[in-house]
Amino acid sequence: MNNRKLSAFSIMAVAVIQPSVALAYVDPGSGSVIVTTILGFFAAIGYTFRKYFYKLKRKMFGTKSNEENSRALDD
Amino acid sequence: MISPVGGSFRDPSNRVYTVTLPEQKRPAIYRGVDEITLENFEKLKTEQFYKQLEVEKRVVNTTLCAPDDPFANEILGAGWAGVLVHEPVSIVSYSYEWSFAMLRRAALLHLRILTDALESGWTVKDSTPFNIQFEGTAPVFIDIPSFVPWQEGEPWTAYRQFCCCFLTPLMMRSHQGINHLPLLRSYLDGIPPIEAANYFRGFSRFKRGVASHVMLPARVERRIEARERDAVPAEDRSQRKVSQKYVLALVESVTRLVKSLSVDIEHTDWSEYDKTHTYDDEEFQAKKGFVEEFVKEKKPSCLMDIGCNTGTFSKIAAEHADLVIAADGDHDAVQKLFMHESSHSAHNNILPLVLDLSNVSPNQGWAGKERSSFDRRADPDSILVLALVHHIRISANIPMALFLDWLRSFNCGIVIEFVDRHDEMVVKLLQNKSEQYLDYNRKAFEHELEDRFRVRTSQELKGGKRVIYHIEPQ
Repeated sequence: MNNRKLSAFSIMAVAVIQPSVALAYVDPGSGSVIVTTILGFFAAIGYTFRKYFYKLKRKMFGTKSNEENSRALDD
Repeated sequence: MISPVGGSFRDPSNRVYTVTLPEQKRPAIYRGVDEITLENFEKLKTEQFYKQLEVEKRVVNTTLCAPDDPFANEILGAGWAGVLVHEPVSIVSYSYEWSFAMLRRAALLHLRILTDALESGWTVKDSTPFNIQFEGTAPVFIDIPSFVPWQEGEPWTAYRQFCCCFLTPLMMRSHQGINHLPLLRSYLDGIPPIEAANYFRGFSRFKRGVASHVMLPARVERRIEARERDAVPAEDRSQRKVSQKYVLALVESVTRLVKSLSVDIEHTDWSEYDKTHTYDDEEFQAKKGFVEEFVKEKKPSCLMDIGCNTGTFSKIAAEHADLVIAADGDHDAVQKLFMHESSHSAHNNILPLVLDLSNVSPNQGWAGKERSSFDRRADPDSILVLALVHHIRISANIPMALFLDWLRSFNCGIVIEFVDRHDEMVVKLLQNKSEQYLDYNRKAFEHELEDRFRVRTSQELKGGKRVIYHIEPQ
């Protein structure tokens, strides 16, 4: 158990570059740019729709919905 | 003494070193960085969003090392352009030791940091839970060189890694009730979409987020694999551009998804310990008093409560210890403790971890050195082992001598409770077993104990069916 403390701290703060564990020539992860483009497009539509929906809701009821601030940590 | 960190080698732009000095309790954490990373860090420190994250303690406190620091000079000698110093975390834990709520909170921290960074013209290039550590119940982002300036048209580069490491395991647990921890322990880089898709069959594919973040990526990856295998040249997808609005909208959408995921705490063997234990009030107070006496005397800098259940005794210890590692194999009991500590803790010094005590996290990753075993990371100066020995001997089939050897290796004071074979809980354990573990009795236990420890004090509980000991290494 000697050096346990050293080991405990010696493994912190490890930067991990995008791993590709499949040791093959084809990198399946390279397709994530396609996925993020498709999902980003639909997410942007949803985001715009929600923005106007909340705006309308605020105008009608005068209250701010909890869902509007989706960035906050859910602590 | 300066040592490069075993697990810090994947990102060629920097490397972590530890510096151990005899008079310091914790080793200092240094990081050698290349020229671009150094330049980025100097710019990052002036950014308002980063300053705010520092104020809120969402990122580890990091400074540029003074040029006259002798250790920095040695690190610079290895060819780095600059040296950063990080504040060390209390103890390193891994995502395969976190309950669902901890993984979810770490995911939300990552998304919050990414959103703030994107809005200020930065991004976070990695998305692995190894870059997040917990101080009590608060997650802290520790990989500062992950912050890089966002390039025009750049997609969310770490999206796939985020899904593999955070989102997929969270959805597996929340939607399917699958225990994600053994999977994360095996897949250190996260659960790949093609593999994850196998866990979602039939109608479960229509549950929130599954079609978008598991089935679609799995389908795209399968198609790429099929189209580009053998000698077929790979298509260049690196030049594809994505609008920043799309990136931000995707991050926002994933944040909403993560927030929608939850699990109910079931009534497991240990999650209702406070109500279901077999002591009467007086005996329970006596046991609490014994533990309190021990922690008051020791004032531990790090106490480990193994087999903590919902943390009844961890909470007593936390009043007198700097840090309490509360470990148990029951996910729901640990999750309950985490949720309680998140909202009620006065000191925020309990770290609840899910650990199967008969099979704690091993050394693993590249050459078995990338991720350390739990007992190499934990360095307790006091331990609580309350009503656990019978489970180790009878349920896990581990001889008492081996268990006591393991405890002895920590070389510190321990409170250990022995539950004799006449106790109703041991009777229940033995009820349907052909092996009756006749070596499991008080006399044999005390004999093994005295071979390794000195008994300072002891007290009988439940009319002698249980005995609690304060022991010190011989």
